[in-house]
Amino acid sequence: MNQQRPNEIKIESHGDIILLDIRGDVTAFSEPSLNNAYNGTKESSPKKILLQFEETAYINSGGIAVLIQVLAQTRRNNQKIGITGLSNHFKKVFNMVGITKFATIYPTLQDALSAMSAMS
Amino acid sequence: MLDDQTVELNLPSKLGYERIAIGGLAAFAKSVGFSSSRIEDLKTSVAEACINAVQHGNEGKPDARVLVAIRFKENTLLVSVFDEGDGFKTEPKDPVIERIIENLDPPVGFGIFLMKRLMDKVEFNRTSNHRHEVRMMMKLTG
Repeated sequence: MNQQRPNEIKIESHGDIILLDIRGDVTAFSEPSLNNAYNGTKESSPKKILLQFEETAYINSGGIAVLIQVLAQTRRNNQKIGITGLSNHFKKVFNMVGITKFATIYPTLQDALSAMSAMS
Repeated sequence: MLDDQTVELNLPSKLGYERIAIGGLAAFAKSVGFSSSRIEDLKTSVAEACINAVQHGNEGKPDARVLVAIRFKENTLLVSVFDEGDGFKTEPKDPVIERIIENLDPPVGFGIFLMKRLMDKVEFNRTSNHRHEVRMMMKLTG
């Protein structure tokens, strides 16, 4: 059985929001892809970052740890962070581990873009 | 002891094979009537137990195995995940995200934390044949 393939992450600008559209499962193997994508946003110094996951993605504790490390960086850089595309199960899991203290979860991409655009 | 209500999966001790376990587990749990949301809780819990077995229990030993036993008895799903390690002397503390974000703690401990919250009961045992067992239970309700 092969290890996980690298995540494909598209970076898009939506006004003052940078969207990281993360394809694939989120595990410890996602660390280089996620860090590279986050580092790729630094040039434009965005104040708002939105992470979009696939609703069918498998997310485990290794992926949660990688994500929390990204959240730590966004906090140090005074960035607002939103998350969308999660299944109901992973919305519950993210709430349990406390990710929702540092990031807002939105039900849809459109909801996220609307709400985050209105933030100062 | 194996019987006609028990399924066993014998997996290589490598990350990624936990997905084979949770695929079989999901089919088993569905067949005995668990809801899709409870099956998601089971999948996360058993995946985390398998990951811990690979990373901490078997500690990268190439020939070690991870054994997953699934049984439904008296309206309760019982899942045991065995590795060839010694287990831990004291149960790890729950991770505190504020401390991890501030770089005061490493980002570890989420697996056991999630198992304990998503399952009805979790036990850690040392077995007579020198294996470590994580035994998880979920009652079928409604």
